[in-house]
Amino acid sequence: MTSELWGLLGSFTTPIQIDTTASSMLWLVPLVASIAIVYKATKVYTIRWKAFLRESAVLFGSIMVFIIAAALIIQAVAWLVTEQLPRLLGGPSF
Amino acid sequence: MPDSWKDNHALYLIVVGALAWLVPGAGHFLLDKRRQAIVICVAVLLTFLVGLYVGSVGVIDPVGAKPWYAAQLMNTPAVALLARISTAGNYPVYGRPNEIGQIYTSIAGLLNLLCIVNAIYLAHLRGVEKARA
Repeated sequence: MTSELWGLLGSFTTPIQIDTTASSMLWLVPLVASIAIVYKATKVYTIRWKAFLRESAVLFGSIMVFIIAAALIIQAVAWLVTEQLPRLLGGPSF
Repeated sequence: MPDSWKDNHALYLIVVGALAWLVPGAGHFLLDKRRQAIVICVAVLLTFLVGLYVGSVGVIDPVGAKPWYAAQLMNTPAVALLARISTAGNYPVYGRPNEIGQIYTSIAGLLNLLCIVNAIYLAHLRGVEKARA
């Protein structure tokens, strides 16, 4: 029991391995869920579980859609600036 | 008699705010909003612990990452204790685990700050309603 406890505490002393890949962006999903839940908890007068979960899910979905839309727009702007604009100006692309 | 300290409005707000900072959700618990208290406590602590697990205790860095530390400190004063452990020991963390750990622990702190402000506001509203009645 004691060794298990030390093992558990020890897991908080070394970072886990996360590569710098596109999939590491998925770490934002639980964070957005947490933000949606806590924000909704401060907004509703009383918590009725079913309605609370539904409202939190709607807020979670709204934030995710906005983030994905923002990511697509930024990606498009980056593509235009680095690929298309140099071609139009007659210079080499980045 | 048990409610006498609640009659002092400013003291009541300070107690609610301090409790909400001491333990996430405790401010709402004091206001008899038990479900909100449970949701806030679980969500804030879980977010903080996930950040700590991902980046290790090294993400709490009061020397090299002061703005992040200020946000992390909003979780609970116990973060100052973790900061002492972090600075006394050798817990290097770089790259993505550092970024994700800092973001998780700091967002958890800012969420708790939102809950502290919300608990104080609710306590203030109750005081105003009580004064009107």
